[in-house]
Amino acid sequence: MRQPAAPASSASNPRAAGPGGPVWSRLQSCASRALRHQLLRLLLSAALAVAGLEACRRRAPDDADPPAKEAGGDVRVVLAMQPLWGPAEPFRSLLREFERAHPGVAVEVRTLPNASDLTYQAFLTAFGGGAREPDVFVLDVVWLAGFARAGWLESLGDDTLLRGTFLPSAVDAAVWQARTWAIPWFVDVGLLYRRTDLVPDAPATFAELEDSARAAMATRPGLQGFLWQGRQYEGLTCNALEAIWGHGGEGGAPGRLTLNSPEAIAGLTWLRHTVASGLSPPSTTSAAEEEARRGFQQGGAVFMRNWPYAWAQLQAEGSPVRGKVGVSALPTLSGAPGHGALGGWLLGLNPRSLQERREASRALLAHLTSKEAAVVLAVHYARLPAREDAYSDPRVTGAVPFLASLKPLVSAARARPVTPYYSLLADAVQGSFSSAVTGVAAPREALDEGQRLADALMGAPP
Amino acid sequence: MSLARRLRTERAQAILFVAPAVMVLVAVALVPILAALWLSFHRSILLFGERAFVGLDNYALLLRDTRFHAALLRTLYFAAVAVTIELLLALPIALLLHRAMPGRGFLRAAVLIPWAIPTVVSARIWGWLFNPDYGLLPRLLPASDVNWLGTPGYALHAAIVVDVWKTTPFVALLLLAGLQGIPEDLYRAARVDGAGRWTLLTRITLPLLMPAILLALLFRTLDALRVFDAIWVLTEGGPANTTETLSVYAYKTLLRAGNFGYGSAQSVVTFLVVMAVGVIYLRVLGAGREG
Amino acid sequence: MRNLTRLGRVLAVAALLTFLLGPFLWQGLTSLTPEAELGGRGWPSHLTWRAWAGALAREDFLWSLFNSLVVAAATTCLCLLCGAPAAFALARLPVPGRGLLLGGALAVSMFPPIAVVSPLYLVLQQMGLLDTRAGLVLPYATFALPLTLWLLTSFFRQIPSELYRAARVDGCTPFQAFRWVLLPVSGPGLATTALLVFVFAWNEFLFALSFIHSPGRRTVPVAISLFAAEHAEPWAEIAAASVIATLPLLVLTVLFQRRIVAGLTAGAVKA
Repeated sequence: MRQPAAPASSASNPRAAGPGGPVWSRLQSCASRALRHQLLRLLLSAALAVAGLEACRRRAPDDADPPAKEAGGDVRVVLAMQPLWGPAEPFRSLLREFERAHPGVAVEVRTLPNASDLTYQAFLTAFGGGAREPDVFVLDVVWLAGFARAGWLESLGDDTLLRGTFLPSAVDAAVWQARTWAIPWFVDVGLLYRRTDLVPDAPATFAELEDSARAAMATRPGLQGFLWQGRQYEGLTCNALEAIWGHGGEGGAPGRLTLNSPEAIAGLTWLRHTVASGLSPPSTTSAAEEEARRGFQQGGAVFMRNWPYAWAQLQAEGSPVRGKVGVSALPTLSGAPGHGALGGWLLGLNPRSLQERREASRALLAHLTSKEAAVVLAVHYARLPAREDAYSDPRVTGAVPFLASLKPLVSAARARPVTPYYSLLADAVQGSFSSAVTGVAAPREALDEGQRLADALMGAPP
Repeated sequence: MSLARRLRTERAQAILFVAPAVMVLVAVALVPILAALWLSFHRSILLFGERAFVGLDNYALLLRDTRFHAALLRTLYFAAVAVTIELLLALPIALLLHRAMPGRGFLRAAVLIPWAIPTVVSARIWGWLFNPDYGLLPRLLPASDVNWLGTPGYALHAAIVVDVWKTTPFVALLLLAGLQGIPEDLYRAARVDGAGRWTLLTRITLPLLMPAILLALLFRTLDALRVFDAIWVLTEGGPANTTETLSVYAYKTLLRAGNFGYGSAQSVVTFLVVMAVGVIYLRVLGAGREG
Repeated sequence: MRNLTRLGRVLAVAALLTFLLGPFLWQGLTSLTPEAELGGRGWPSHLTWRAWAGALAREDFLWSLFNSLVVAAATTCLCLLCGAPAAFALARLPVPGRGLLLGGALAVSMFPPIAVVSPLYLVLQQMGLLDTRAGLVLPYATFALPLTLWLLTSFFRQIPSELYRAARVDGCTPFQAFRWVLLPVSGPGLATTALLVFVFAWNEFLFALSFIHSPGRRTVPVAISLFAAEHAEPWAEIAAASVIATLPLLVLTVLFQRRIVAGLTAGAVKA
């Protein structure tokens, strides 16, 4: 470093005068100096205190072997889940009910981030490191095969375990290689929302959707036609798959993804068309669920594709579209009701759980996926039940009729490809979908490229 | 005390001075970095429990990976443009803040706000600002039917704007600290000699500020080459992977695909690239010291 | 002519403030906008404090402010405690392998953090520091140490060597010279470095997310990211929370900016 050319200036330093005059600067210098010293001392002692606390609190065995029994002799079961959003009491009493029925067991809830990605990352780090906790945990529907393959889920039974009790699409998502690995907790399905004041009848085909949207747009300048999620993320995969299924695509042999089938190309062509022709606004290519919901809620669009969560806010007090919204199945080429993508979460067991906790964990799993629990989740937290019987329960039909009315739509939902390679593929697939949707490449080229990448990642077809 | 003995004591003391820092670095940083390096020589996909030693296979794959090449070029472009703009903006800001004026303390604090906000939050703010439907920017910019964050080509520049907004304060702070080190006497003497403002700037300020400028450049470039948070929140690497920098690609490979072997190899190569840039800077720094 | 430059300066300040503060103020406005009007065009019809009440009512968020404060303060202290003596030595003493140390430290800061998350997780697990604040402070300090070393070394080099030599001639050991002569005049450097490290630790996201899972121990960036539900995002509350999260940093900046400004102590060299 270069030294200054002359010895450092000592005495007067006009810059130190400070703003606003001598009185202010004196005040500031006194106050701030004293304050600063105090603050520094406080921070230093806080830091030392924390270090001391942590040093004392450090457990002798490391995190990999947590104590099985608490000081009071209770068996502790750790449940990792995302916050449910809503009143705290109903879920808490659900857990207390469990603890009453199983004396000697205490449930500890660990909250995870709601963003699917972040939770996945947390699990990857934890389970990859061989963690024995949590004992019961939530997983996204698309993670099942991967977790099962990695040995992070305990097998619960054969593939007939859940049939009849749970919705067929939910069961599809919970089964892999003829075994059941987790129990569906609550589900989600892609829906078509529409403005009933502009389009009284639900469109059955893509053409009908476009025509009715354009007719409404002609009457009102500034109105958008169709809002959906085109940002490069998992939501785009859902939208794209729905468009592909709507054009007759199936997805390929079980476990494999066929991206460049004619139906897939048709589906992506439709999506690209909505943006290119102005039916959907330019913001669609960076829109996620909230952007679409807010746009629709402001009265700015005729149609929207979104999850059921949006309904509550669209019908809330003060919403400009309150009372003017209808929900239906997504359109298809043929006019038959379309299949929404299945979303939602499952509950699974950690096979590396401590021996003493296994029984209690299984019991907790059964309790949380019982009909009672499903009703509680539906009524208080607006979670779509995965169990068939919850839909006809009078409490559900009474308190949340909208959710109850979704049963036919959610029964027709389709699971995304169940393959352990899903996470590996998701990335390549999102890239090629985004290429097609933004017009970087023609749908055929984009999907060919995606198929090539998918094949490379999964290895040659068997 | 003889010269040799004094030197030896000083040397021993020097080692004591430096020991804590070295211990912390070795214990907490060196081990994971070496572990990552070790991982890069394996084919390790977490979900499949695969762990096979494959030597340099991952690196050979990287050489053929067009997506990686694209990410590399993109990252270099991003860093070059962002750091240049930041420096050009930060210098006038630092000069401005250096002057005595009313409200200077407040101004200094205010200038640091963009940098004080967590990146995940500021990226979200800019995401809303860029939104073509209700964001502020499209209303201000003319002829903007373009969705900045959803159009390939534009999205990367939107990310650059966010990065510039966020880190210009950091560079300004470093330059300001450097300005403090320039003695007032020099300016006084030069003004007595009749030097104008421009001469003061180019003959005194800039040369003496060089060390600070180069230091700021060094750390900013290193950071810009590893940018992640801002881009992730803004676009997650989209649209169509056009904002995918090296870190974003590595993140997706490591923590989405669970492909630890390949992801670690990517990180090692990123590290080598960053180190190469660092070495170039240090050469220039060293040359600056000579001149 | 003078008025013109004055005007120019005022305009420059105004433009600067608009660019730097505009988004922040807009975010403040968002936090006061009623929920139903978020995402619409035009100004909000009225302002409401509901989002602020909502953000402050979250116990987790309030705790996260405390956690962030503790972690950032501890990181700063640790960095300065380890870094200042080392930087002094690197600037003034014959350190064996100085180039290696500085270069190695730089190399550490060059390594992408994501690749290190998983191995670091295992290291912390072995040390029993997972899910503790101390377990966060160590990685933070380690990754902030290179910047600390480089900055402080440069600052110490700027302090004229006469000061150090005079002290040694007067009979001080290197440590005494460091503690009693050089440290007091390195206020600006220490303050700048402290601020940079504090902000880095305050805003760090990846490690905080990966190493801490108890809600009561989370830091601010992670806590804010948890405001979002699976699909729904309470924008106004997030905006309010981020304004609140920025305030401690602002306070610190205002407190320290005079230090950064202050020149070298009067009379130290002339006397």
